[in-house]
Order: sequence, then C-alpha cells, then structure tokens
Amino acid sequence: FYAEEKLVGNLASMSKRERIKAIQKMPKTMKKKREIRNKVLREIAKKSGSRSTQLACCTQCQCGAAASFRRFRNSLSEHFHLLQFWQKTLKIIGGKFGTSVLSYFIFLKWLLNFNIFSFLINFSFITVPQFVAAEPNNLSFTGLELLTGAGYFQQTVLYYGFYTNATISKMKNGASYNMQLAYIFTVGIYFVICLLVLLFSMAKSFCRNFINPQAYSGSAFKLLCAWDFSITNEKAVKLKQKNLSTQIKEDLTEVNKEVLNFTVTERVVRILIHFGSWVASLGLAVAACAGVYFLSINNLELFMKGHKNDLESQAAMLVLPIVTSLLNVFIPFFYSWLGHLEKFQNPRNKIYVTIARNIILKISIIGILCYYWLTIVAASESQCWESLIGQDIYRLVLVDFIFCLLGSFFGEFLRRVIGTTVCVSLGVPEFDIGRNVLDLIYAQTLTWIGILFSPLLPGIQMILFSIVFYVKKVSLMRNCQPPRKVWRAAQMTTFFMLLLFFPSLTGALSVIAVTVWRLKPSKECGPFRGLPSMYAAVSEWIKILENYVSSKWVVWIYYNLITSELFFFILSVILLIITYLYWQIIEGRRTLAKLLRKHIAN
Amino acid sequence: PSRQANPFQHRICHVFSTSEDRDGSMSFEDFLDMLSVFSDSATLDVKSHYAFQIFDFDDDGTLDRKDLEKLVDCLTGEGEEARLSSAEMEQLIGNILEESDIDKDGTINLSEFQHVVSRSPDFASSFKIVL
Repeated sequence: FYAEEKLVGNLASMSKRERIKAIQKMPKTMKKKREIRNKVLREIAKKSGSRSTQLACCTQCQCGAAASFRRFRNSLSEHFHLLQFWQKTLKIIGGKFGTSVLSYFIFLKWLLNFNIFSFLINFSFITVPQFVAAEPNNLSFTGLELLTGAGYFQQTVLYYGFYTNATISKMKNGASYNMQLAYIFTVGIYFVICLLVLLFSMAKSFCRNFINPQAYSGSAFKLLCAWDFSITNEKAVKLKQKNLSTQIKEDLTEVNKEVLNFTVTERVVRILIHFGSWVASLGLAVAACAGVYFLSINNLELFMKGHKNDLESQAAMLVLPIVTSLLNVFIPFFYSWLGHLEKFQNPRNKIYVTIARNIILKISIIGILCYYWLTIVAASESQCWESLIGQDIYRLVLVDFIFCLLGSFFGEFLRRVIGTTVCVSLGVPEFDIGRNVLDLIYAQTLTWIGILFSPLLPGIQMILFSIVFYVKKVSLMRNCQPPRKVWRAAQMTTFFMLLLFFPSLTGALSVIAVTVWRLKPSKECGPFRGLPSMYAAVSEWIKILENYVSSKWVVWIYYNLITSELFFFILSVILLIITYLYWQIIEGRRTLAKLLRKHIAN
Repeated sequence: PSRQANPFQHRICHVFSTSEDRDGSMSFEDFLDMLSVFSDSATLDVKSHYAFQIFDFDDDGTLDRKDLEKLVDCLTGEGEEARLSSAEMEQLIGNILEESDIDKDGTINLSEFQHVVSRSPDFASSFKIVL
C-alpha cells in the first residue's frame, strides 16, 4: 500500500504528458491503471483546490484545445496507417512464414520508398520543366525499344541527352528556371537525403540489434525468445515446432561433439582446401569481369561502326546485359557447391563465406562496368555518351528484372513440381533469403548509378520492384516452405542495410562524384553541354551571384566552407576526437558491467 | 481464431484474464490489455513482464526447472519424435540456467529474464500479434 502511495505521489508531480506515458508503461491491467489515474487526479485536484478560480477559465480553454489537438493528431495517424500499402499482405506472409522471410519483404518495401521519393523529386523538378521546353521527337517507335531503351526513347525525357541547357522561361519577363542548376542540385540533394536516411536507420538498427554480440550464442536466448507469436497458421505452427525441436537437438549434439583434434597434415589439407576454393572463386570473379569488359568494348565498337537502327544491331546491344545476368545467376550456384565441398566445421561460417563471395562477384561486375563507362565511353567520340550509359543501365536493369522473374519460375515453381512429383526426396524448396536480398541490392545499386544519366530510371525501378513483390509473394505462398534454420532476422537486416550503405550507396556516390567533377560533358546534348565539367555550372552560378549584394552570404559559405580544405580537415579531426572519446566510454562501461556481474554472483 | 494454433494460448488467456472464476475467460478490457501488450508500441519492459508471466506455468514468480521443461515441451510440440529425451532435456536446462541465472539460485527471476530478453533484439518483433 505504501508503494502505491509513493507511486501516486510521483505521478502527481509529473507533467501531464509524462504522466500519461508513465501510466501507459506500467505492466498492470487496465482497471488498475484507471484506479491509479483517478487517484492521481484526485491528488492533483486536492493540491490545486486552494488556488484561485481565475486561472480556471484559461486552463480550461487550454485543456480543451490540447485535447482536441490530441484527437486530431490521433485521427491523422490512423489515416496515415491506412496509406501503408501491403499491410495485409505482409501480415499474411509473417503469419505463415515467420519474421525471417518477412524481413525480405520489408526490405523490398523500404527500397521501394527510396525509388518513389527519387522519382517524385526528379519528375517534379527536372522532367516537368523540360516538358515546357521540349523539342519534337522525330524518331519512330517500334516495340523493341521497351527492351533496348534506344531508338525512340533516345529523344525523350528518359535520358540525360534530351534535357536542355537553357534557362527556361514561359513569359517574357517572368521567372526563369535554370535547368543546369536544377539538374545538379536535385540529384545532389536526393543523394544527401539518401545518405542521411541510410546512416540514421543503420545506426538505429545497429544500436538496437548489436548490444552485446558475445551473448548471442547461448541457448538461453534461443529458447526464451524463440517462439514467434505472429505465426497464426496451424500447419506453420506445427512446422515451426518440428524445426525448433530438430534445431535444439542439433545444437545439443554439436556442443557434445568433442572438438576434433586434427593432426597436422589434416589441418594443412583443410587450409589448402579453403585457400584453393577462395582462389577458385576470386579467379572466377576476375574471369567474369574480364569477359564483361571485353564484351562491352566489343559492343561499343559495333555501335560506333554500324547503323543504329538495324534490328540486328539493336538485338546485339542486348547481349551484354544478358551475359551479365547469366553470370550473376549461375556463378552463385557454383559458389554454394564450393561451400558444400569445403566442409566447414561451423555451418554459419558457410553462409557468411558464400554471401561474401557473392558480394565480391556482384561488386566487381558493377565496378568493371563503371570503369568501362567512365573511362572508355566517356572518352569515345559518340555524340552523347551520357545517354549511352543511361541506355546501358536501362538494359541491365530490365534484363536483371526478367532474369529475376525467370529465376523465380525455375528456382521455385519448377523445383516444387520436381520435388513433389518426380523426386520426392528433394521436397519443397525453401525461400532463399540471402540470394534474393543480394539481388535487390544489386538492382538498387544500378538504379542509383543511373539516376544522373537517366532521371526517370527510379520510376521504372519502382514499377519493377512492385511487380517483383507480387511475383515473389505468389511464388512464396504456392511453392516454398519456411526456412529450416534459425535466421537471425534482426542481425541480418542490419547487415543488409550495412551492405546497402557501404559498397552500394558509397560506390554509386563515388561514380557520380567522378562524373560530376572530372568528366567532360558531351558537347551537343544534355544540360551541361559546352561546360568543362558538370560542376562548372555551380561555380559559374556563384560567380554570377558575386555581383549581387544580397547574396553575399551564399558566396561566403561557398568559398569558405564548401570549397575550402581547411574546413573539412578541422571537421574530420573533431569527428575523430569524438569517436575516440565514445570508444573509451564504451570500454569503461564494459568493464563496469563485468565487475557488477561478478558482484551479483557472489 | 488466430490464437487457436498458438501453443501458449491457455497461458495467455490465464495471464490476461481478471475474472474471479479463474476459468480463463476474458472481458473486453482484458482483451484490450492483451492486444496492447502484443502490439508494436508496447515497450520491451511491458512485453518481457508479461512474457515472464506466460512462461511461468506454476505461477510462483520464478522460472524453475519444471517451468522450463514445460516451456520446452510447448515449443517442440506434441509429437513423439519431437520430444526431447530426459538426458537432452537435462542438458538443455542446465545450459539455460548456467547462462541466465546470474545469482545462481537455480531459478530465473523476472530481472534475470528481462536481462536475457534485452540482449535479444528479435524478441520485440516476435512477441507481437497484429490484427
């Protein structure tokens, strides 16, 4: 009873908002919470009963206003929830397959948001003004353009080359719209926002999910937190129980198995096998890159030599993307076969090594393509090299999408048919989360690289991702079973976000940075024609601004903060110092936690 | 109907019901309480508090060996080959107690349970029922 009195006293002294939050947080039944709240209100009324009633009117109005504002905010957030599309689908997937498969679909939805945002700002700031100043399109439209992206589409808003470098103005003395600045600032601001969003989500996710990594390997957490309450399907529940029991038994036998002491020769042989398979996988990646490079040089020569409107030469342009996608599909199978061959002691290491190899393959293919685009295509004599790159990326994205659908068809549908009719021992396939997420990251990297060269590419990717969502969902429901091993959804989500940030976004940013700062834009097309580099548009604008007195501060910021190296140097030193301080604090807290644990045990 | 398949359904009904008959029946307010605990916006404290009560099969305020055995049986299901042998069960429960029992009294109390749960980031997302 005394504790309750103290609680009531504490609550009475808090502000209204804090009180509501504190009562909500209490793990008691609603009846109890209501009793406590009434007691607290009585306390408050008692305390302030002696105050004059003059204030009563004002506080009443205030209270009324605050209450109606709160109600308005609640109804707004309710309606906002309705806007969340696919809520029902995600719930069904989570109910039948658990949170691990659900994390793939949530990741897909999150990537879709990036694309929607990019499409909206590109369309409103770059494309719509361009429609006002559009040139007529004389080329004819044949159906093949949808696949190759060339031909009719070359003279549309789809590619960089179509955009004008003029300052668009509708009326004689009306407001003008500088296309060059709009282009460069829209793309730049989009990437800055992406970077910040990704950094913050990564940090939040890391903070939540990596609190104490060494404590993760115990069986206690596995048991106490293992049950997924969101699974609602009865068959799925039984399946999950079977999986859990198999897994618990496996873990116990694993712990029981004595650490096999290998003899020296056996150890050397194992190291040689690991070394050999790494050499094989890296060698294969290098060979794939070389193949892609020579094929693309060949492609460019063919393009420069021949006519562009031949059906044959147009089809020949598709060879590069098809070969790239084939490599991306078949080499991972080889890698998983290598993983089986290596006989890892810890099955988790096998998964990590396979994922690492796949990442290296995909990143090196994109890397070699970027190198080819930035050095060979940019320096070639073609009329509009940025549009060429845009077309290449469009083709890559589209063919990758088609292969993703085909992969779903063959990998899941046919495999299920084979597994249930012809070869029953294989069984129904599992949904391979790792491979699918890496495919998504690959597609998103290509889109990010392509934004500068083809501003409407995120819109296309938006449509493609939506189709992938539906296809994967249907394929999952009909053909797959839930994954057998425990897939640490939270940790892997953080890991995938990290992958999205580190090779993917930073790679795209460096490609765009090199293009904007170092490369010479083509002379005859695009918003930056004639300038020595795309960035020159900004420096010229600053020079113009110097003549206006009212914008001196913009010029000052530009010269002293953005282009000065001293500023960035000082900033980096400060950041390093802060990082070091935080690291020392963490170390200190870790030692303290260990000490406290020893105290409790004694 | 979505809770019928859940092996913890009886415990959930028992924990959230406030009726005097102790028959596990739930009023509308009890149902609201349950949904609010299982929702996205409940804090980890609240969720772990109720999870502890759900797992505490004999309602004595601590998770002792018998509670843990019953928990493992619920998780692995009813089938004969799914159940663990007594040696395996002993070993498993020994492992769990070794890791989570900080004050070494042979049982897991609420604070120890909350400590284990706070280190597992998947708990909050799996202790969720979405309507």
